[in-house]
Amino acid sequence: MAHAVLSCLHANLAALEAVLDDIDRLGVDTITCLGDLVGYGPQPNEVVELVRSRGIPTCQGCWDEDIIEGLNACECSYPSQLAERRGQLAHHWTAAQLSPDNKDFLASLPLSLRRDGLVFVHGSPNSQHEYLLPDMEAFAALERVVSAGADMLFCGHTHRPYVREFREGSIELRLRRPDSGPGQESERRMDLPVRRIVNAGSVGEPRHGGTEATYVIHDGDRDTVEIRQVPYDVERTCRAILAAGLPPPFAWRLRHGFEYAERADDASHVCER
Amino acid sequence: MRGVVLVSGPPGCGKTSWILSRLQEHRGPRVYRRLEGVDPEGRPLALDGGLDQAFLHDQIPDLRELADGSQDPAPEAEGLLALIELPLFGPEIPETLALGLRPDRHLHFGRDSELPRQDTLVFGALDSWSLDLVTEVWDPASVNSFWFELVNGAYGDVYRAKALVNLPDGRGFLFNWMVSCSGTQFLPLRSVAPPHGRPMRLSRLVVQGKGLDTAGLQTTIADCLISDAVLELQQAPRRSQGEPLPATG
Amino acid sequence: MARWALLSGLGGDLDVYEAVLADLRRRRVDTLFLLGDLIGPERDCRPLLERLQHPRRGELRAHCIYGWWEEQLLAERGYRGERRAEALRRESGEDAVQALLRAVDPGLMDWLAALRFGFVELDCALLHGSSADVGDSLGSATDPLCLLDRLTRMDVNRLFTARSGEQFSVALCGGGITARVRDLEGERQLRQSVPSRQVIGVGRGLQYTLYDPGTDHLDFRTAPDPARVRRRGFA
Repeated sequence: MAHAVLSCLHANLAALEAVLDDIDRLGVDTITCLGDLVGYGPQPNEVVELVRSRGIPTCQGCWDEDIIEGLNACECSYPSQLAERRGQLAHHWTAAQLSPDNKDFLASLPLSLRRDGLVFVHGSPNSQHEYLLPDMEAFAALERVVSAGADMLFCGHTHRPYVREFREGSIELRLRRPDSGPGQESERRMDLPVRRIVNAGSVGEPRHGGTEATYVIHDGDRDTVEIRQVPYDVERTCRAILAAGLPPPFAWRLRHGFEYAERADDASHVCER
Repeated sequence: MRGVVLVSGPPGCGKTSWILSRLQEHRGPRVYRRLEGVDPEGRPLALDGGLDQAFLHDQIPDLRELADGSQDPAPEAEGLLALIELPLFGPEIPETLALGLRPDRHLHFGRDSELPRQDTLVFGALDSWSLDLVTEVWDPASVNSFWFELVNGAYGDVYRAKALVNLPDGRGFLFNWMVSCSGTQFLPLRSVAPPHGRPMRLSRLVVQGKGLDTAGLQTTIADCLISDAVLELQQAPRRSQGEPLPATG
Repeated sequence: MARWALLSGLGGDLDVYEAVLADLRRRRVDTLFLLGDLIGPERDCRPLLERLQHPRRGELRAHCIYGWWEEQLLAERGYRGERRAEALRRESGEDAVQALLRAVDPGLMDWLAALRFGFVELDCALLHGSSADVGDSLGSATDPLCLLDRLTRMDVNRLFTARSGEQFSVALCGGGITARVRDLEGERQLRQSVPSRQVIGVGRGLQYTLYDPGTDHLDFRTAPDPARVRRRGFA
């Protein structure tokens, strides 16, 4: 059965509506959301309410967590002082806009969802803040999938959609302990399982060079993953950004297909807090 | 090349780069002066706030400068090369421009073949905006983001942008960008500011373009400049190390 | 040539520390690392902590980091924001937390709070658990994929760890993996080899490890038990 996975909506209502239309048109009726419903974008309440009204199972993103917990994102996750100041401004604006009811909803979201061998998280099984980028060290990336007990791990957070498959993996090792005499080290070979990471990209703040919203459709029966790109009314969101008094560069970046939140360079960085 | 040479040309045609390489080649006393130019209608061109001058003095520490209102450079100087830079659109020097000096030669970009040919823009009717940044220090990652936004049109239609930028490690850079050239030149200054408080050298941003969002520019710049406390955090380890950083980028 | 001694898990026992120091004599050790769990709930830790701060004349000064027990104490005494000694409470109950509080005089807290999480020396990381967590217990039976991940996180060739208390070395020496990526730009495939790296468990208490960074030589040692030595001495 085919199911759709979306992530990083970032309070961009026009983009979410276009993606849901696309999913409906394809006749896919199972949807999972990987969080970051709010942050940066101009319609946090509208986006949360649309996700709630459609009853979409959702796990919590780092922005959803921060809005409830207070500003918790570590400073080191911002690549620059400028990005940090803008991020804080967007945070305070969003926190002030969100209704108590919608905040409660974000607070109730689980960190991960699990269906059969599929595991759904925002960043990585370790943390909502960890980036699983497509070029992350392969063994470390596979470790995330295996430690989560997943055959296929769905994540978002990087805003760039991809499918990464690990195969023909093995590790050979030599074990030594105090009681093993000289030359008595034991050797072992472990074959690694075939696993996949699917990154759903971003609905509301795409970072693939174009302005289209991205999400994925996984068909378990046919064992396929399709990366979907959906055009939407970018100007509508840009106008709403400016009308809301959010920093104008947010609108400019969205309009040009540049991300409006810059990403920390260190892909494996995990907030220590 | 020697003697007193007047070098004119439109803004952005490459006068300063050409002058820098002639002066660097020259063995003997070197003099530089930048004059205030005029646009095709004879109106004074926006000043660059001393950016080029500051950069040339950084690159050529023994460079002499003609004081304002002075006449020709000392004619007795043996092997002297004095280059006088004049932003000017056409090769004819308007009578309204009292140069107060008699050059041995006058070279004009676009007319004289010994100068490089470069496309230049028509700078008439462009807004010009400039911000004094003396003592200000940029967060390095932030200045990258800001410059990317600036030259890609986030604050209006920018044709030319130039800045002398201080970084927390004491280095300074001349950022130089023009819409007709690909990419920004990032030229490191030779001088490195000591790790004791804010740098005192000239620092500013000059932007020419249309429909400039100067309020937006100022908001973003304010978010890029670092506080005393952050600067101190970066300077303290340099003080204990003692060694200055090389001025390379 | 440099030689390190790596120990952990003293649990506040000065006798054990002295026994290891005695065993180290004539072994030409020039650097001593104490990878956490200096303290424990079972005895007054003051004599050991004071000795670590003020070594005797001619005695090596131990380079200390904090371990799981220090983390529990620091959390319980409010040095970790909102967190408290939840892991200890969960594992051993409230009595264990109270015993730990009694074992370490509050006057020693500033010194403990100033301890570092780990050292990176040459291409070696010296940690109590791993950079994933101070309580990360790595041993000879740990999934090699997990060991490789912990090495990758620190970007080092040797990871010395102490949390499990086990003396072991796992050398990753072969294998590889193929990763195929498909995104909006197209498809690409990369074969990557297992890097030649090693995780070393240094042991706990009397069991400690000698390491020569120049030759990469490892020696797992056990110092004579001070209780037995004493008994023999008075017999």
